[in-house]
Amino acid sequence: MATLSSNDIARSIYLLIKDKTTAERSVLYEKVVKFLFKKRLLSKSGEILSRLTKIINKEEGNLVAKVSSVEALDHKTKIHLEQFLKKRYSAKEVTLVLSLDKKLLGGIKMETNDEVIDLSIKNKVKKLQEHLTRE
Amino acid sequence: MNTSHIVENLKKEIENFKTQIKAEKVGKVMEVFDGIVKVSGLSDIKSSEMVTFSNGETGVALNLEDDAVGVIILGDFSKIKEGDEVKSTGRILEIPVSNNILGRVVDALGASIDGKGVIKGNNPSTSSGLSAYPIEKVAPGVITRLSVDQPVATGIKVIDAIIPVGRGQRELIIGDRQTGKTAIAIDAILNQKGENMICVYVSIGQKDSKLRKLQARLEAGNSMDYTVIVNASASEAASMSYIAPYSGVSIAEYFMDQGKDVLIIYDDLSKHAVAYREISLLLRRPPGREAYPGDVFYLHSRLLERACRRNEKYGGGSITAFPIIETQAGDISAYIPTNVISITDGQIFLETDLFYKGIRPAVNVGSSVSRVGSSAQIKAMKKVAGTLKLDLAQYRELEAFSQFGSDLDDATKRQLERGKRSVEVLKQLQYAPVKMEHQVVIFYALTKGFMDDIAVEKIKEFEQGLIEYTERNAKVFYKEIDEKKMWTDKGEEQLKKAIEDYKKSFK
Repeated sequence: MATLSSNDIARSIYLLIKDKTTAERSVLYEKVVKFLFKKRLLSKSGEILSRLTKIINKEEGNLVAKVSSVEALDHKTKIHLEQFLKKRYSAKEVTLVLSLDKKLLGGIKMETNDEVIDLSIKNKVKKLQEHLTRE
Repeated sequence: MNTSHIVENLKKEIENFKTQIKAEKVGKVMEVFDGIVKVSGLSDIKSSEMVTFSNGETGVALNLEDDAVGVIILGDFSKIKEGDEVKSTGRILEIPVSNNILGRVVDALGASIDGKGVIKGNNPSTSSGLSAYPIEKVAPGVITRLSVDQPVATGIKVIDAIIPVGRGQRELIIGDRQTGKTAIAIDAILNQKGENMICVYVSIGQKDSKLRKLQARLEAGNSMDYTVIVNASASEAASMSYIAPYSGVSIAEYFMDQGKDVLIIYDDLSKHAVAYREISLLLRRPPGREAYPGDVFYLHSRLLERACRRNEKYGGGSITAFPIIETQAGDISAYIPTNVISITDGQIFLETDLFYKGIRPAVNVGSSVSRVGSSAQIKAMKKVAGTLKLDLAQYRELEAFSQFGSDLDDATKRQLERGKRSVEVLKQLQYAPVKMEHQVVIFYALTKGFMDDIAVEKIKEFEQGLIEYTERNAKVFYKEIDEKKMWTDKGEEQLKKAIEDYKKSFK
């Protein structure tokens, strides 16, 4: 028997709850938990939920972007970033998860799903180092 | 040291430096074990795509799964940790090549390991001057190919006469351990001096001491000038052994693309298959016969299919491949030997028994075959060696039969005596390749019966003297062989006379 991957389970859960009302969903949630318990998959629930979050975000056009910078971003930059990300990833909603990272030295670093746009000074210095030390 | 000059140069470099803003696909290391890494993320990655780890090591994506990517690490995997960042490069694994690679020893990634410094190139379109060749490439198509009709002179009498190899052919060298498989390959490289042939020797999972010895031997014979050695030694990870033959053939293709003829030796593909089995099992691919994965046939067929002879319209050049397979107790019906036998255009089968009987090279003429090489053999050789294989087969049969009784008729006795001399003539010392024209003279003397009354133990001495004598006294014959690849009546008369004269003086 082929093993079920966490991705398969998360996708099935999404298809199950997709067009249901809130009342219907609460019944289904209980069934999903029972299924996971029966199949001894509760230990994988963390992974399944993170997969489910990704699937829902992708299907619903939501984008979660981690933005790191040395100093807190102002409102104008945030709006500007949101617009840029909406356009680039054709997303309906963009959620920015902001964090401060002194190691970046300057600039910002954006992470969305498995894509990174690194506009930090640290990255530029690293690239310059590679350029100067190339053989 | 001029400080201002250095500062000026640095300033210039920094001013000209531009960074490209681009989105990079990244993943995270989930698991690391035995040279294999499971990575999450890295969507859109291609199979065989190169990835880089945060500590600078490179890897190749082999397993593209639903929620992870299986990557083999090319190098030191001890410093890779869970959670490390992995970046995809968008490039299929490639190796740097240039004409300066000749005479060098490189690892499976094309980096020099002979202590002679970095290999530089002269390609103006790249900053390092080196051209990048992908290690995986689809073999040239039917339209671009030519049939095999030009010989590769190995300098080994038994091969050039009975199992001839042509340019673009794939001839397997198969036998147990210590039967002289590598020796044949080395002799073939040594004999390519002045033959306008580039040689690539790929050492897979061999001892470093063996390679060092081999390199010294090639250097002593001035053969490193036209040779590249690709080494993935036994101490390196299985991933290096896995990619080494592909790197070797990429180097060969680089020279073939310049219209040159290349001879490549894979020593040996049994260890390559074992390395691939190790990787496949670690990647949890389903094991099949002898625990090899299902695509082990394709592993070798796609490699050996890249050996070819290309027609002039597509640049000419050729790659002749000598894959080596080590058998266990002479079992050629094991999985990998049968696979490679079916892929190649013939095999040179070496036997332990013959080796210990003193018949060296220990080629079993009956089991060895060259499927396309006979059309590449020069006319003169074809004429003198045409019946040799049959004669030897008959001799072996009679030899067994004659052991039961001593009452034999004259014809049988003659055949037995001729057979003994044929076996003696086909014996050859290691690192002593014989030129094609000399081989023609020797086989001419043998098949025309000039050696029938020479004592078997004196055959070697006779052979040596004959070559020296005929070189001086049958110049017309040698000239004809050199220019027309066949003799005329005039040349033959001169040779016959020279052989007879020499025989008179030989005691």
